[in-house]
Amino acid sequence: MSYKHIYFNEKVCNGCNVCVDVCPCDVLAPNKEKGKPPVLAYPEECYFDGACITLCPRKGAIEIVTPFPMRGGFQRV
Amino acid sequence: MKELKVIPIETDVLVIGGGLAGCMAAINAAGNKELKVTLAEKSDTRASGKAGTGVDHAWSYIPPVHEPMGYTLDDLVEDWRQSTASGASGFLRDDLVRLVASTMYDRMLDLEKFGINFRYEDSKVPGKFRVVYQYFSVPGSFNFDGVPLKPKLTAEMKKRGVQIINRVQVTDLIKTDGQISGAVGVGTRIAEIYFFKAKAVVLCAGGQSRIHRNPTGVDFNTFGPPTCTGDGAAMALHAGLPIVNMESLSGKPNLRAGANYNPNYGDPRSTVQPAARIIDWKGNIIVPRTRFYDWEKLGKEKWTPEVRRKWLEERRSIGNIRGRMAEMHDRGEGPFYLDFAEATDYEAQYIEWSIKNEGRGTQFMRYFKDEEGFDLKKTRQEYAGYGPMEFGTGQRGLWVNRGLETEIRNLFAAGDEVGAFLNAAAAPGALAGGWYAGGMAATRALAQKKFPVAGEEEVKGRKAICSELLNRERGFFWKEVEVYLQNLMDFYCGGIRSEAMLKRGLERLDYARAAPLKADNPHELARCLEVKSIMDTAEMVLRCSLERKESRPEPLGFRRSDYPQPSQEWSCFLGIRLEDGEFKYAKYRGDKPV
Repeated sequence: MSYKHIYFNEKVCNGCNVCVDVCPCDVLAPNKEKGKPPVLAYPEECYFDGACITLCPRKGAIEIVTPFPMRGGFQRV
Repeated sequence: MKELKVIPIETDVLVIGGGLAGCMAAINAAGNKELKVTLAEKSDTRASGKAGTGVDHAWSYIPPVHEPMGYTLDDLVEDWRQSTASGASGFLRDDLVRLVASTMYDRMLDLEKFGINFRYEDSKVPGKFRVVYQYFSVPGSFNFDGVPLKPKLTAEMKKRGVQIINRVQVTDLIKTDGQISGAVGVGTRIAEIYFFKAKAVVLCAGGQSRIHRNPTGVDFNTFGPPTCTGDGAAMALHAGLPIVNMESLSGKPNLRAGANYNPNYGDPRSTVQPAARIIDWKGNIIVPRTRFYDWEKLGKEKWTPEVRRKWLEERRSIGNIRGRMAEMHDRGEGPFYLDFAEATDYEAQYIEWSIKNEGRGTQFMRYFKDEEGFDLKKTRQEYAGYGPMEFGTGQRGLWVNRGLETEIRNLFAAGDEVGAFLNAAAAPGALAGGWYAGGMAATRALAQKKFPVAGEEEVKGRKAICSELLNRERGFFWKEVEVYLQNLMDFYCGGIRSEAMLKRGLERLDYARAAPLKADNPHELARCLEVKSIMDTAEMVLRCSLERKESRPEPLGFRRSDYPQPSQEWSCFLGIRLEDGEFKYAKYRGDKPV
C-alpha cells in the first residue's frame, strides 16, 4: 500500500544523511542536491521503529505522520 | 552483462548479524587483542535487529534481589519449567535457561560500563534498579533506559577494533572438511559479493518475519523487524543443520493492544506493568490491574513453593491473554481494551517511561500523545487487528549444544537464531548468549593455526544467482511473490492445520519457487534474496507442521484438525534438516536427541 509519511523540515535538516545511513529498511535515499533533506525512496518499507528520528542530530528535522490504517484503535474515557 | 565484484575478507572470528547478540559476541571476541573480529550486518548496527531502537525489559537471576528472598537459580529454572514450558520437560532447555539466567546480571553490569543506565535514585530496589514481574514468581526483569543500546554497543565494538561491515546480507555458509570456514554475502546497496574466510563463525541473524500478510495493509508494520527474514536458519538448513520448532513459528491468532498500530506490547502481566488491566466492552474486568512488588518486604518475606503455586494458578486462570481474546473474538465477543484508569500518576509515568524504552514504543507514544493528544490514563487502547502472524521470540531456530555450538564445528549461534528457548530468548538470550558464543568462537579461533581455503564454489554459485536476478529481461517484482507466499501461509498454514491443506500448501510453494524473480537494482536484489529466505522458512513451517501429528496448547501453540489431542510421543522438540536434498526429521527432549 502506498503512503507518504515522513516529512523533513528544510529549515532544520542540513542533509547530513545520518537517517539514510541508519534506517534498517533503506526507506530513505540521499538528496541529489548536497545539504538538502533526503528523499523517500521506499516509504512502504518503513518499520516505524523511529531509527531516523532517534539518531537524527537535529531535533525537529524529521516528522512522521502515522499512516491511516494504523490509527484509531483507541477510546477516550 | 557486468561482472559482480568479489570482495575477499579474511578474519579470525566472523559474526553474522549485528543485533544485540551479534554486537555482544563481537565485543567479547574482540577482548582478545590478537584476534581480528569482523561483523557483517544487513542494515546498520546503530539501529538494527529486534532491539534496533531499544528494549525495555531484560530478565535475569538478580543476586542482590533474589538472594534476600531465598529464591535460587534452581527456583528460577523450575519457574520456567512450570510456566513457560508448561511443566513438560521435553520443552525445556534448562541448560540454556541456566546459561542466560546465571550470566545476564554480569551482562547488565557490562552494559553499564558501555554507557547504559539502569540505576535510579527513586528506586527502593537493592542496587537502585527498577525490577518488575515478568516471567517468574518473583520480580525478575530489569526495566532500563534501553533506547541507546545499539549506538552504545556499536561504539564499544569500534573501541575494541571490530571491523563492522554494514549493508551486507550473508546468504551462504562455507564448509571445508566438515567444518565451517566462512560465508558468502551480498551488498544491499552496492551489488557486490563478499567472500569471508574465518576460523570461527557466530551466526545471529535473528528471527523470521513477513511469513503472514499484515492485516493492516501497511506492509512492514510487522511484529518482528521486517529485516529479519530467517536468512540465518535458511543458510544453516542448506549447510545441513537441524532447525527446531519451525511448526510453532506462525499462524497464531493474536489480538494486540494499541490495535493496528502494532506497538508490540499489551500483556498486563509483563510488558505494561504496573497498573495495566484488561476490560471488556461492558467494563467487566478480564484481567485485574497489576502491582509493583512491595520492596519494603524484601528480606523479611521469604519465597516459598506456595508463592509459585499461587502465581501459577493466577497465570493459568488468565491463560495466554492475547490468544484467549482472539478466541473470544472469534465467538463474536469484544471489543476489549487495555486500560490504565486505576494507575496512580507515578505508575502512569513509569509505564510511559518503560514503553518508551522499547524503540517502537517511543514512536507509539509519540503518535499517541503528539499526533492524537491522548493521555495514557484517560484513553483505552483496543485489542484488535491480528489474524495469523509470526510469533514466538527465540523459540524456533538452530539446534545448539550447551556451548552454543551447532553440529558443524566452528559454527556457533546466539540470540533469536537459537531454537528451543520457548518464548524467552529475547534480549537476555541475545545479550548473554551472544557474549558467551563470542567467547567460545574466540577460543576456537585462537586454537586454529591456518585459514581454511575453500569457498570458491559457493562464491561462484551466489554470483550466478545474483547476476540472473539482475539481468533477467522480464520477471516478477519481489513483493508479488512475497504476497503470494503470505496468502499461501495464511490459507494453508493458519491457526488450524491438516495434512491435506499442508500438502497443498507445499505444492503451491513449489510453484512460487519456480517463479522468475527480477531485481532492477541492489535494493531489489536484497529483497529478492529475502523472499528466497522466506520461501525456505515457509517450507520448514509447512513440513514441520505436517510432521507433528498432535495438537498442543501454548506455549508451543499448535493445532491440527486431524490430530486434535496432545500426544506423549510428541512431548518434544521437532527438528528438520536437509540431507542430500532430502528433508529429515529428528526429535529432541530437553537437550538430548530422542
